[in-house]
Amino acid sequence: MKIKMAETVPAAIIRRNRPGIKAQDWGNWQDESFEEMDSTLAVQQFIQQAIRKDFTNIEEILTPPEGQDEGVWKYEHLRQFCMELNGLAVRLQCSECNPETCTQMTATEQWIFLCAAHKTPKECPAIDYTRHTLDGAACLLNSNKYFPSRVSIKESSVAKLGSVCRRVYRIFSHAYFHHRALFDEYENETYLCKRFTSFVTKYNLMSKDNLIVPILEDQQSIEGESEA
Amino acid sequence: MIEDGPGSQHGGQFGPGIGGISMVTKQQQNDDSGQRPQYSMPGILHFLQTEWARFEMERSQWEVERAELQAKIAFLQGERKGQENLKQDLVRRIKMLEFALKQERGKYHKLKYGTDLNPEDLKPPVFDKKNEDDVDGNDTSITTSSTSNINTSWRQGRQLLRQYLQEIGYTDTIIDVRSARVRSLLGIQPHSGDEPDGIQSGLVNGEPQLTNRNEMTKSRSSGKKNQIEGALIDTEDAVMTTFDFLQPEHVVDDEDDNLSDENEDGGAADDESDERLERKGNKIKIIGNESMAGMDDVDPETEEALAEFDFLVSESGEGAGEARSHGDGMPWEKKGEGEEWVVNHSHLSKLKQQYKQERKGKKTSRPSRSSLQAMLANLSSDDDESPSSSPNNSPRSTNIPSSEPDEIAVQGNNSIQFSMSNSRKPILGGVAGSDEDALDAALGLGDLAGLTVTNESDPLCYDIAAPKEVFRKTWNAKYTLRSHFDGVRALAFHPVEPVLITGSEDHTLKLWNLQKTVPAKKTTSLDVEPVYTFRAHVGPVLCLAVSASGEQCYSGGMDSTIRCWNIPNSNIDPYDSYDPSVLQDTLIAHTDAVWGLSIHSSKSHVLSCSGDGTVRLWSPGTKSPLLNTFTVDTEDGVPTSVDFVRCDPSQMVASYTSSNTYIYDLETGQQVLKLETKQNSDSSSTNQINRVISHPTLPLTITAHEDRHIRFFDNNTGQIVHSMVAHLDSVTCLAVDPNGLYLLSGSHDCSIRLWNLDSKTCVQEITSHRKKFDESIHDVAFHPQKPYIASAGADALAKVFV
Repeated sequence: MKIKMAETVPAAIIRRNRPGIKAQDWGNWQDESFEEMDSTLAVQQFIQQAIRKDFTNIEEILTPPEGQDEGVWKYEHLRQFCMELNGLAVRLQCSECNPETCTQMTATEQWIFLCAAHKTPKECPAIDYTRHTLDGAACLLNSNKYFPSRVSIKESSVAKLGSVCRRVYRIFSHAYFHHRALFDEYENETYLCKRFTSFVTKYNLMSKDNLIVPILEDQQSIEGESEA
Repeated sequence: MIEDGPGSQHGGQFGPGIGGISMVTKQQQNDDSGQRPQYSMPGILHFLQTEWARFEMERSQWEVERAELQAKIAFLQGERKGQENLKQDLVRRIKMLEFALKQERGKYHKLKYGTDLNPEDLKPPVFDKKNEDDVDGNDTSITTSSTSNINTSWRQGRQLLRQYLQEIGYTDTIIDVRSARVRSLLGIQPHSGDEPDGIQSGLVNGEPQLTNRNEMTKSRSSGKKNQIEGALIDTEDAVMTTFDFLQPEHVVDDEDDNLSDENEDGGAADDESDERLERKGNKIKIIGNESMAGMDDVDPETEEALAEFDFLVSESGEGAGEARSHGDGMPWEKKGEGEEWVVNHSHLSKLKQQYKQERKGKKTSRPSRSSLQAMLANLSSDDDESPSSSPNNSPRSTNIPSSEPDEIAVQGNNSIQFSMSNSRKPILGGVAGSDEDALDAALGLGDLAGLTVTNESDPLCYDIAAPKEVFRKTWNAKYTLRSHFDGVRALAFHPVEPVLITGSEDHTLKLWNLQKTVPAKKTTSLDVEPVYTFRAHVGPVLCLAVSASGEQCYSGGMDSTIRCWNIPNSNIDPYDSYDPSVLQDTLIAHTDAVWGLSIHSSKSHVLSCSGDGTVRLWSPGTKSPLLNTFTVDTEDGVPTSVDFVRCDPSQMVASYTSSNTYIYDLETGQQVLKLETKQNSDSSSTNQINRVISHPTLPLTITAHEDRHIRFFDNNTGQIVHSMVAHLDSVTCLAVDPNGLYLLSGSHDCSIRLWNLDSKTCVQEITSHRKKFDESIHDVAFHPQKPYIASAGADALAKVFV
């Protein structure tokens, strides 16, 4: 009995968001080291822990724990991006981005993006494109066919991540070029676009030409106020 | 008849009694002369009394049996009538189909050859040939005309027919759809072996032959099941090809038969008519409508009947013989009943035994009968003919069909045939050689299975089945709902539809239609994709409630808001354009995370509890939706969970982090009662109540505690009624089924448990979700009407069990 007590002492921190806690206490517990995480969702836990700790420290967030399978690491990060992009989508939807003002999904004048969620890609209004893309990404990333496990991922499925990145990035670019104030506000709260750009660059998931939002230092030759 | 019975028996009863007395007196005299004074008056009286009692007992036994037989007669008469109706209907359809087919053929041949050649002449010989190969000598009724055509020509005819169909324009997709349907029919079929068993064993309760019969049924059905399972594998291909070939004809049927009000009869019935069509097409010139009975005597059935009797023989040696001759048995037995009661005991016992044997013998034909019943039920459910609908039907199904001998007499001397007379095998007979037996069995039971499945999804039947669940219902994971990116915090079912809504830490809610499944790799669990994603919360969604109408739902989130949603149609295109009207309203008053919601069962009132320490009562949709705010002393902490008191709509119950629970009056806003939740908890202050729910009908409050307990409290006294360690880790969520019989609990120990509320025992445990940090299961729910339960997990999945 005593031995058992002694064993349980280090695990005494129970990491739970119990009913009734305040919003500020959400996930507010002592960090758990990756080695101690014994659940199958350790990578997600690790990423969320790092974000909660300091969302501005992109480099740390994007540094995988030792020996981490890269496919799973990329996959879990992309899940996290899509999840946080919901926040941007909600803001777009609640504010000025409606089918009347943004009839097409555009960023610069160069391209009109067609919504791939339909049988034949179609010119959805920007807000529909955003919603459809996020819904489609949720379905794909949760697909039992391509991603049956969150512990190991087939190489063929990892290849799917690139196209998801390309599509969801357009939400950033649309917000940046058409709803700049909203974008900046959100970016300041989350550093999401910065993190995403670093992520796709680091893991080579998108070509540099497609990264049209000048958000990182080495992209910032033309703009200075994005930090504002 | 039953009125007469006892009277005449009474009369008969005196005979032996009086005779006994006189006999005894004589004996006594003899004994007296023989110097044996053992026969005293009390002794004689005692003897007479015992004799009398014995006779009384036997008489009552006979009465019971007579009543049974009478019930059986009534049942069989009803069955027969139903069968006749069915036959008539099928004949009608056959005629229509024949006509259509003939027209098509005529048309085709006119087009092709300019003549009126009758291609169907190729085919009847085939079937006759087939039959002839198997038919015994005494089946003279079917050996009508034999021709010299052989299998190849049959194949040709089949090919020809297929070509016709293709020309008429029935595409492969129709064939595919039909074959898929057949496949599904066959897929669920092994299940059905249990169903009649369960029903029967449930229904024979209280009858004298209970054990005997149950044993019979059990061994019967298990035997049958094996038979079917084996046969299923062997014949599936054959079935598929046959049906591929035949199904398009059904479409013809549907189009031509504008009277076909029972299109939903189920595949089997339709297929039957298809097959009959073919056969009739072949035999049309030879056999009239009346020949149905004659056609019944095809050999494969005889084989199966024999097999059934083999089974019987193995079970009860000479019983089979008696069952064989049971055709004579019934009249004999009746005669015996009518006679004076001077019958000797050996005769009586013999009759009884025979009766039992017959009963056994009859059992062998039960499956085919039950399949027939299924068909009848299908028909009658369309015709609104309540007497033969299955619930009324089934009690009688335990009875012996005593009117059968008549039919046998009509059909022929061979009593083996009795099993065919009311099976529908003959209808399918002659399709594809020996495989068809199994096909018959499979389809017969498949049909039945289909019926039971529909019944199960019927709310009424769910209610009936509920008490039985303890014994037989085990819940199995059926649907996995994967689409959330983070833990699912809450879920709620639609009040009627097989639809549910989940709320997640990924800031979204999703609407799922369980009827829109994605074919999954492994068939054990179906994947469902969401049909709609609700976006508006800017933080995790923590709680959820669906209105009683199923039109609105409410969600509370970390962002302190309560959102009121109009639930879109569950058949909406997931990639439809954005409809801002889905978000009907936002209730803002709370200043911190909203952790609990409860919806009033009749009024459109909503209760919410929040991390800001308040419980609020809302009337969404009105101008000033906030009706009332309930606060407590700071030492009680913040509310963790809230619910309306279901049996007193003017009250609500709320639990607090201090592990106190109060019942409030909603009108006055005053505390009415304090439940003794705190006294029973451990001294540690961490024992908070994670969920409080009110029993749907009783004045009972149930609480889920952090200390692994579930506790029950009386709403009138506030006293604890029961306390139990329910899980290995803290209990997070509770749900009571709509009838108030079962409790479902979820815990961070990764399991959900189903409890019998009556006995407070765990009926089933299901390990359901994986851990994220130290959390596992956040919510559980019962469907208000359908037999679904669901759990929501920290692993971003929701699961639905059936």
